[in-house]
Amino acid sequence: MNRIAKTAAAALFSVSTLALVPAAPALAETVLRLDEVAVGELDPGKASDYADSILMFNVYDTLVLPAQGAPGLVPHLAESWSADGNSHTFKLRQDVKFQSGNPLTADDVVFSLDRMQALGQGLSYLFTNVEKAEAVDDHTVTFVLKEPYAPFVASMLRLPIVDKKLVMENLGEGEGEMKDWGQAFLSANGAGTGAYTVTSHNPQQETVMAKNADYFLGVPGAAPDTVRLRYGLEPATVRTLISQGEHDISSQWLPPEVLKALAQDGAQLLTESGSGAFYVKMNTTKPPLDDPQCRLALAKAFDYAAAIKMIAVTDDVSQGSPATGAIPVGMLGANPPSAELVRDLDGAKQHLNSCRYAAGDQNIEISWIAEVPLEERFALLMQANFAELGIKSEIKKMPWALFAEQVSKAENTPHISQIFNNAVTGDPDTLLYGMYDSKAPGTWQSPEHLKDAEVDRLLEEGRTNTDEAARAKAYHALNNRLMEIAPTIYGYDRQSVFAASNRVKVPAMSDPSKAFGLDGMGFSFRLMEMQDKN
Amino acid sequence: MSPVVRLLVKRLSISIIVLIGVSMLIFTIARVIPGDPARIALGPNATVEQVDQLREKLHLNEPIWVQYGYFIRDFSRGDLGISLYTNRPVTTDIAQFLPATLELVIVAGVFMIGFGIPLGIASARYRGKTADNVIRVISLLGVSAPSFVWAVILMLLFAFFLPLFPIAGQISDTLTVPPRITGFLLVDTLLAGDIPAFLSAVHHIILPAFALALSGIGQAARLTRSNMVETYDKPYIEMAQSYGFPARRIANRYAFRPSLIPSLTIIGLDFAAMLGNAFLVEAVYAWPGLSRYGVQVILRKDLNAIVGTVLVISATFLIVNIIVDLLIAYINPRIRLAERGRP
Repeated sequence: MNRIAKTAAAALFSVSTLALVPAAPALAETVLRLDEVAVGELDPGKASDYADSILMFNVYDTLVLPAQGAPGLVPHLAESWSADGNSHTFKLRQDVKFQSGNPLTADDVVFSLDRMQALGQGLSYLFTNVEKAEAVDDHTVTFVLKEPYAPFVASMLRLPIVDKKLVMENLGEGEGEMKDWGQAFLSANGAGTGAYTVTSHNPQQETVMAKNADYFLGVPGAAPDTVRLRYGLEPATVRTLISQGEHDISSQWLPPEVLKALAQDGAQLLTESGSGAFYVKMNTTKPPLDDPQCRLALAKAFDYAAAIKMIAVTDDVSQGSPATGAIPVGMLGANPPSAELVRDLDGAKQHLNSCRYAAGDQNIEISWIAEVPLEERFALLMQANFAELGIKSEIKKMPWALFAEQVSKAENTPHISQIFNNAVTGDPDTLLYGMYDSKAPGTWQSPEHLKDAEVDRLLEEGRTNTDEAARAKAYHALNNRLMEIAPTIYGYDRQSVFAASNRVKVPAMSDPSKAFGLDGMGFSFRLMEMQDKN
Repeated sequence: MSPVVRLLVKRLSISIIVLIGVSMLIFTIARVIPGDPARIALGPNATVEQVDQLREKLHLNEPIWVQYGYFIRDFSRGDLGISLYTNRPVTTDIAQFLPATLELVIVAGVFMIGFGIPLGIASARYRGKTADNVIRVISLLGVSAPSFVWAVILMLLFAFFLPLFPIAGQISDTLTVPPRITGFLLVDTLLAGDIPAFLSAVHHIILPAFALALSGIGQAARLTRSNMVETYDKPYIEMAQSYGFPARRIANRYAFRPSLIPSLTIIGLDFAAMLGNAFLVEAVYAWPGLSRYGVQVILRKDLNAIVGTVLVISATFLIVNIIVDLLIAYINPRIRLAERGRP
């Protein structure tokens, strides 16, 4: 036994000495470590998730950027732009070089669009209305649209410009002249003009990026020298890493209680908001929800204040703010924050009395997405709220894949579905058109299966009228119409909350006057400031 | 043909048949999980036309036996297709993630044998005494909680409250990863002669490997103890004791070896099962292994990757079992003799 005890003691001693071995010599560089859900899609033609957006906005640039702290767009790779009917012409900066050293030209912009359309993945649906792009000269490019599309310039926020020459030199196996359009190359390498270059990339584990010393706007010295974007960390792991000082910014997907615990441990909470919301979707084709009065009854019975409490992280920070309608506060056409939605049980009962279905006869199905546990809490909240009206309901858990398949047909879609949706360009068209236009096919965005001529007309007005004031008026009217017919319960305006160590300052996610109002843009590493050297 | 070679040939033949069966089964099961893989891969905003194009490209509109035919054709060329999850060839993903899991499982296996069997021997030798009771409680704790619970407990104890161990990845962020030769980081760091990187890799693997091994340690200890206790009651042990042989000699030479045979079978199965069980430990410790990859591809209904991952894990399971069979044949002469055709 003595021998065993000695062996065990020796093993413990060895282990503890390992812990004392310094991990590495101190380096005179700053390292920012953050995490997101796997996988990180590096190919900008396929990017769609949050992690992909972070990569895209740092490795690549776009022609325009969202203005900070205000609506609208500002020039970026483009110096200026103009519209003439269905043609949009952009003048490019002449001082921009790709990370490879190749100069940026109009050909690169044309190639980036052609590639996006040819792959047909990620956010390429934003460009299905573009007939062609043409290089007028080396630094002028014209996009020709098939039909008028007012928020076209905003959609340029999702067209990262790719280094054509580099990609053409690295085409992989495939058919035709363009072979694989450089998919194999771009899924492992960067080919942009961005402020950060890709040092290594493993889509399930980690992407390492380093400052691009030749960035056309320059990268401030305080910005992190190296960034390690890790994928798929568990909440418990993130909490421990941040407490150990080995992690800087969490993902937004941490449960509120973990965010709260981190805040209590001294972490700062960063926020990003303005482009998305939590929607409770009602199937307008199934009784009793095919009667607007029944839908209005449910919308008024929903306890909005309880929902906000459920997502509160601290007394000051929450994962959402009160909704004021279909359009999140701050977006074109939104109602002011003072018009927040509140529960009105008496009003709900009045609407229910006007409904052609008797409350006691109804049993509605409330679904929640299995991968989003928070939705189960909302399902339970709704069950309790609706029970007060005498409406029975059953809760159904659905994996995302099954949900996405079932909503393609109205008869298979549950009475109530819950989704989080956001405007990928910050414009209300990219939020509302897919949800409410009657021509849009049944997708996860449109479990309402709404057919309403007035909604269609206003959506069309919003996307075709190029006058900004007229668009705002159309979206206000649309907002009001949607409140009248209540295809959806507008749960709350979503706000992404991230826990961060105090080693990093992120003005775009802590100072409203620096916020971009576009998901993922707050993670522009060049605008961050590291507080110490490792 | 020697009996051991004959045993090997027999086991390999059976394994190939099992693998073909597994491939058919998983190929079918992967296709009946709810959800359209093309829709999931292209994302919620893809148009119906885009989804249809990808379905066509993946042959998803063909009957399942035709699809299996395409799979066998590609498989025979060493092509498992493209993962719709990582957008890379499945073989590339497996080659990248498998070594990390194998390394974790091998170290856990070493812990299982290195701690479990000595604890079992000690427990049997000191049967009924305090040491025996303590070891039995520890073993029971190890067996009764699953690996992921231990993963979280160990992380809280030795990383959160007592920051002794790192908890994310295979090596410190600040060190340069040595050139990939075998894919096994412990081996590659040694081959590169990079001692700080090797120590960092050792430091990183201890907690996840121990969490993964704890259940096996308990199992091995309990099994070794019960087998040895049974052996201690045999007349030849009593005879050795009556001759006054030292207790350690009796334990190690006369009681342990016959007790090892049943333990070895279970340890072998445990070892292989760790491949599948590793995914939660890999998730907690951000370990870039195949088990975590396997779970992600199932959730995303990534057909090619599901089939590839399951086949590799099954093949590894079968290989481990063959090794265990050979070891047992080596230890137990009765099995060798049976293979030779004698009773």
